[in-house]
Amino acid sequence: MTPPRDPPIDAVTTAWRPRDAGGIRAHPAWFDLDDGGRLDAYETTRALRTVESALDPAGLSTTARAVLERVRRAR
Amino acid sequence: MRDLDELLPLLRAGDADAFGRWLAGAEATMRDSLRSFAVVVDVEAVLQEALLRTWQIAPRVEADSKPNALLRVGIRIARNLAISERRRARSVSADDEAMDRALAADAPPAVAPADPALRRAIADCAGALPAQPARVLHARLESAGVEPDDALAERLGMRKNTFLQNFTRARKLLAECLARRGIDLRLELA
Repeated sequence: MTPPRDPPIDAVTTAWRPRDAGGIRAHPAWFDLDDGGRLDAYETTRALRTVESALDPAGLSTTARAVLERVRRAR
Repeated sequence: MRDLDELLPLLRAGDADAFGRWLAGAEATMRDSLRSFAVVVDVEAVLQEALLRTWQIAPRVEADSKPNALLRVGIRIARNLAISERRRARSVSADDEAMDRALAADAPPAVAPADPALRRAIADCAGALPAQPARVLHARLESAGVEPDDALAERLGMRKNTFLQNFTRARKLLAECLARRGIDLRLELA
């Protein structure tokens, strides 16, 4: 059975982040995590980005692809 | 150690594909440099903003006697952003204890080469996922951070909580599959 903490952690492992005039902002669900959850989310995201890079032909994680998308859209 | 500054001439010319290659080599090191901030800021958001600003400043960065000048600049941008974000969010003073610890933990900018065996193992394990966790994992991969999970879940005909539970299942099954091959992703990345 999935421990109750996992879905909130996985809510923030996505590379999607809101953006406003000041730049890219924290995921709303990140504020709901306690210190342990935030550290778990960081470590889980770090491992997931390696998985994503391995599955991408250009070796890019979803973080890298999200940034590249913004770079290309701004040009 | 790879020197990503070999890409600087292309970056100065505004080559976004070259920046993609730079990102592939630099992202993990920049993320690691923010680890000590993980409790006080959303590292993913700070990292993405720092990477965008690194792209913007790249045309003005010159290689020096040490490798990875642009990566060193990027790490400085990321850490300064983390400090600013912490102050903005909480209105705390600069001598905040967590911030002091973060600043004391300065990571050297080493760039590790990609490991083909690890890539193969990850691809094999991802290919062996059951249908629903695989759908959710691929939805996130295809979206590449452009859409929030609500939109992805709706497209797959799932409630958001079901989507997240399937995602959790996908990453745990991946970790178990890799562990059976003697691979601990967190240790591999340490």
